[in-house]
Amino acid sequence: MKRSKLPLIIILAIIVAAVAIIFVLKSEYALLAHPKGIIAKNELKLIGTSYLLMLIIVIPTFIFLFITALRFRKGSKAKYDPEHSHGKFGEVILWIIPSIIIAPLAVITWYAAHDLDPYKPLTSEIKPLTIQVVALDWKWLFIYPEQGIATLNYFQIPERTPINLRLSADGSPMNSFWLPELSGQIYAMTGMTTQLHIMADEVGEYTGRAAEINGEGFASMTFVAKSTSESDFLNWVSWVKKSPLKLNSSTYDKLVLPSQNNPVAYYSYVENNLFNKIIDKYMHHE
Amino acid sequence: MNRDLFLGKLTIDAIPHHWYTIGATVSILFMGLIAALFLTKTRRWGWLWKEWLTSTDPKRIGTMYMIFALLMFFRGMIDAGMIWLQQTIAADSQGYLAADHFQQIFTSHGDIMVFFVTMGFFFGLMNWIVPLQIGARDLAFPFLNSLGFWLTAAGGILINLFFVIGGDFANTGWLAVAPLSELEFNPGVGVDYLIWSLQLSGLGSLLAGINFMVTIFKKRAPGMSLMKMPLFVWTSLCSTVLIISAFPVLTATLFLLWLDRFLGMHIFTVGLGGNQMLYFNFIWMWGHPEVYILILPAFGMYSEIVATFSQKRVFGYVSLVCAAIAITLLSFLVWLHHFFTMGAGADVNSFFGIVTLLIAIPTGVQIFNWILTMFRGRLTFASPMYWFMGFICVFTLGGMAGVLMASPPADFQVHNSLFLVAHFHTTIIGGALFGIFAGISYWFPKMTGFTLNEKLGKRAFWLWLIGFFVSFTPLYLLGFMGATRRLDHYAATTGWQPLYITSMVGFVIIICGLLTQIWQIIVSVRDRKQNLDTTGDPWNGRTLEWSTSSPPPFYNFALIPTVMSRDEFWRRKKEGLKKIKKYEDIELPKNTGMGIYISGFAFFMGFALVWQILLLAIVGLVGIIICLILRSLDQEAEYVLTAKEVKQIETMSAHG
Repeated sequence: MKRSKLPLIIILAIIVAAVAIIFVLKSEYALLAHPKGIIAKNELKLIGTSYLLMLIIVIPTFIFLFITALRFRKGSKAKYDPEHSHGKFGEVILWIIPSIIIAPLAVITWYAAHDLDPYKPLTSEIKPLTIQVVALDWKWLFIYPEQGIATLNYFQIPERTPINLRLSADGSPMNSFWLPELSGQIYAMTGMTTQLHIMADEVGEYTGRAAEINGEGFASMTFVAKSTSESDFLNWVSWVKKSPLKLNSSTYDKLVLPSQNNPVAYYSYVENNLFNKIIDKYMHHE
Repeated sequence: MNRDLFLGKLTIDAIPHHWYTIGATVSILFMGLIAALFLTKTRRWGWLWKEWLTSTDPKRIGTMYMIFALLMFFRGMIDAGMIWLQQTIAADSQGYLAADHFQQIFTSHGDIMVFFVTMGFFFGLMNWIVPLQIGARDLAFPFLNSLGFWLTAAGGILINLFFVIGGDFANTGWLAVAPLSELEFNPGVGVDYLIWSLQLSGLGSLLAGINFMVTIFKKRAPGMSLMKMPLFVWTSLCSTVLIISAFPVLTATLFLLWLDRFLGMHIFTVGLGGNQMLYFNFIWMWGHPEVYILILPAFGMYSEIVATFSQKRVFGYVSLVCAAIAITLLSFLVWLHHFFTMGAGADVNSFFGIVTLLIAIPTGVQIFNWILTMFRGRLTFASPMYWFMGFICVFTLGGMAGVLMASPPADFQVHNSLFLVAHFHTTIIGGALFGIFAGISYWFPKMTGFTLNEKLGKRAFWLWLIGFFVSFTPLYLLGFMGATRRLDHYAATTGWQPLYITSMVGFVIIICGLLTQIWQIIVSVRDRKQNLDTTGDPWNGRTLEWSTSSPPPFYNFALIPTVMSRDEFWRRKKEGLKKIKKYEDIELPKNTGMGIYISGFAFFMGFALVWQILLLAIVGLVGIIICLILRSLDQEAEYVLTAKEVKQIETMSAHG
């Protein structure tokens, strides 16, 4: 009696779960499902394609599993063959079926990994903007070398403009820079430079965070990236230029010390070549 | 660093002073006291020592492994509950735990569940079942087996000792990732506790791995060629190959980390020539094979279970063996997929991504083979089969997430997120843990002589399965909402809290499942008279372990069987079981306390190295060496059970 109801309950549960999952993914809180930049959009597409390809094989497998389980129950009239086995041919087929799905996935992986390589600059007619990112214990410093300004835990970018991020860290353990609405992660490591290329397709405010455990202030090591129009961005730069805060070696040395929940700060001046100096500190030439 | 000759870094501050360390210390002492009182009252100290603690019988050691793993499982589940509770309430607040304490809890949760629970249960089951399945009386090195268990236990005690002495564990995540685990960021002894407890248990695992590998190669019954071995033996063999190749990497890595911390070297430090990326490579070169060490034995168990409950020979034996071997080899070529985000470049990332994808092929083949084993079978759905069905569903979903993350750009988005956490919990709970439950309910009658209560077993299964989906589906979604793992608090504007709460509800359901399992064991023991397994073969089994009585005599087989078929016992039942006519003398290993003594010294050495008490460390090391010498001088490690005695035992058990 119970048994005959079980498949129905399972199907109902799957439907309820599917509705709940779609409901959550549709909500604006699901950042990965609502990408705002080309990189994140392509990454989402890749996730979708991979899942679809896998479902082609997984759904029939599940159906086959449950039909087999129901049909060959003890007491049913289905054929019982305790020595039932395979030809060699049958076994080869079993290896081919998953390979059919894995082969296109492997090809997709190769091309996607190259297309969406974080080191690959984005092509655009608009001149890219370079921002240098430094992970400190436990805050993010953003340096605009061309504008000569810097910001803390906040950065602003013009929309539809390729942004070349150069990332490093200073004294902090390994960090991961994650701005899910614009792109996936890249590590920021002391004494090293990594690169990430992003572009925002529209105006908006996006939250990012540190994604690799790095000590006590880990959870609150968040930042905001704001994408605005080109003119708003220029206005903002000139506004920052009027800030009383300046980032020279003495203020920087204080900033490096571990601290948490630092408010957003704007620096109207950044010492020349600060980013390279930060990295060079850890280069030891024999 | 001030270092006292007798006390090292140990000072009065090391006594418990947080609410949680005091609480843990009191409960540890309380439980110890109750156990001691019980043993004294029932006068069981001598029995405990002679029959159990010093035993070299793999069945006894297997039981001890499983009891130990169960205790550690409770500890790990308490950690899990504390993590969940914190994340449920910590929206826009600090919750009830400080960040540092929260981080210590998820670190110990991971280490305990992987090293002591999952591996402990598997070594327990392997100790019980591998010798029985290959028709052997004991392992190749019985003393080494005892030593391996006690070293693991010493590691398990050390990882809990920080509650009592020190009060702080590592806050680095279960892999103690450098440079966060370096002295600069972690000046306390927490990381040292992690290092030395894993060194001890890692050594124990390595010894067990060597032992099982040699046993499987050298102690098989006559006629059992490699391709006639039961599949659980095959996957155990693959698992031990991985242990032997991978665990030395862990030992070396943790040792290098300790050199950084103790001698001020700069191998993985930030600056001064240290290379943090090296640590990630090293630890995952061990870490990825490790996850297959956890899953492969489970695969073997599922193969046994599905064939037994289908009353049919396993479909595609050769394919299943090839798949296990393929997974074994491939698992060494994928470690970099744990840090695609380090910026290795598209070519390197693609290589590791594609090799990772390849692992899905043998895994898929196994799943097809299992389903085809059911096809044209005569299925009975006892609780091991429930766990098997649950495993296929859960593990496949977890595997899909794994295949997704094999693609580097997809991984960039979900790396370090709760999606990843959900993925590996899906595979480890759905694969390894469900496998352990399946294996225990399958072989329980063999181990104890009575079956487990089926009704409660199935109820526990449903609670676990539903609880699993309710708690981990939200974590997948939270990953898509941008939630990283290991957050001790978060802003309410992220919209995460409802999902964290749902997840907590799932955890409560899981706990109900766990309590049902405990109740199941209590009820089964209470009603054991009604559930006796008098035949030794309650499921109409196929392999040799079912040819023995339940529980088997301490020498396993009165006469070593000669094997002619893959499903040897099935063949014998079909051809008619023959009675043994002539008994022979049996040589068996003597019990020895040396394993405990050596592990005791190793424990003191580990403890001393945590606190840098060099004098005690030297005492521990010298003690180990002296014990080893004494042991190797012992010429009479075996005793002989005469044919007459064997006959007596056999006729007695046959009559009553």
